[in-house]
Amino acid sequence: MSATASVCPAHQGRDDRKSAQIAAANLAPQEGARVVGAFASVREILRSTQVRQAGASADQADLSKPGEISFFFLDGDLHRKRRAAVAGLFAPKTIVTRHQAVMDRTMDEIIAKLRSRGSAPLDELSWQMAVDVAADIIGLTDSDSSENLANRVKAVLDLSMGRSDSWLGKALLTAKIMIRVGAFWKHDLSPAVEARRKHPKNDVISHLVKENYSKKGMIMECLSYGGAGMMTTREFIVMCAWHLFDDPALLERFLTGGEDDQFAILEEILRLDPVVSLLHRRAAAPVEGSAGVMMQEGEVAALSIRDANTDEATTGPCPYELDPDRAKRMKAVGAYMSFGDGPHRCPGAQVALHETRIFLDRLFRLPGIRLVCEPTIIWNRQIQGYELRGAVVACDPA
Amino acid sequence: MVAITFIAADGTDQPIDAEEGLSLMESAVGNGIEVIEAQCGGNAYCGTCRVYIDPAWRAVTGDVTEVEVAMIEVSGDMTPGVRLSCQITVTPSLEGLIVRTPMSQS
Repeated sequence: MSATASVCPAHQGRDDRKSAQIAAANLAPQEGARVVGAFASVREILRSTQVRQAGASADQADLSKPGEISFFFLDGDLHRKRRAAVAGLFAPKTIVTRHQAVMDRTMDEIIAKLRSRGSAPLDELSWQMAVDVAADIIGLTDSDSSENLANRVKAVLDLSMGRSDSWLGKALLTAKIMIRVGAFWKHDLSPAVEARRKHPKNDVISHLVKENYSKKGMIMECLSYGGAGMMTTREFIVMCAWHLFDDPALLERFLTGGEDDQFAILEEILRLDPVVSLLHRRAAAPVEGSAGVMMQEGEVAALSIRDANTDEATTGPCPYELDPDRAKRMKAVGAYMSFGDGPHRCPGAQVALHETRIFLDRLFRLPGIRLVCEPTIIWNRQIQGYELRGAVVACDPA
Repeated sequence: MVAITFIAADGTDQPIDAEEGLSLMESAVGNGIEVIEAQCGGNAYCGTCRVYIDPAWRAVTGDVTEVEVAMIEVSGDMTPGVRLSCQITVTPSLEGLIVRTPMSQS
């Protein structure tokens, strides 16, 4: 479908992936981890009750103080209860009845900005959408500006996965993180908490206030939801736009199809170019799968989302081709493993899909919309995923 | 295989042969019961695979589990016998099971 697509040598069909090359060159599973790529195996491990989070700083989380660490690092009953307590905020019904209004309002602002300027960096526009939606769900709505909020969240997350082996390096890193977290607390979270103590709302922070979370617990929970919602959705939107700009037939189908078809297109793009490429799990006990023992106690598995998403056993033939009808034909979930699976499946998956659909539907209906500069694809070692920077879109002036 | 009958909101029925060990949701999707959306793929995180268990079968399928409660509450669906079909495993004891489905999952 892409003009630059090449024929896949290993399979009969095109290779429409845009991030495969940079991922292949940079993917770095945790040292000592066994890479697992078969879809069925990845799913069984992610759904197992015997595995625990690994990678992504999980080994640094102090599980003896669950009230002070993110839900992301928890497992079992406590994890489920923490997720369930705010699950309603991410439910399909809530998206339609509440979040869609935020998405529409933000998109009005984005369109107005683009039309008045004539052109804009695409990732700046997608960042605004991702930040506004995530902030509303979390309750980070009392900051000085959403742009400053986003920068402070990103500043903390950029450092939080950093490592240093030297004593001095660790001390410096800790000091930097504390300064940035302090700024986030002072300018974003504290005002939001105070506002919700007086007037509770239906958002994550109101729940944390109601449950008497500690300051540290609140910071960790909000940064987890915020980081995931903002940083990954920004890339997803740009990646989908890039595919659609490259492929007039696909764009035509996107603009003329119903919502279900639009979602099918977006999920298929995400299958080919998942934002997160690796998930790590450690076995707390032997993991039994349908084909016997899959992991020994203590073993760490690096689950390759890219391999699972292109496993012909579940994709059917030509797994590297962009085929929006594939999932329905294969009776599969459209995004395959791109949002993870099991208890830790991405809570905001449906939110991300909806905001991306609304963003692109509005963007591509703008008169004269065009991609004047393609994105540069770079690799984020911390999250083991791609970032798309430098894309510029232009439209006819208002 | 286990014989299960899905009855749509308009009263039409669709019998299927469900594979033992799969979830009721997976069996429904695999047999073309389109109203079962299962957006989260069977992790009890979306509430879009709701079904209503026929009264005569509720003792066999069991009550709503703790895992299902949050998403069922959010859906606002208070229909008696409501369950998330992703949390029901197909076993031989379900032979002849009758489940009804909502008009839509939204």
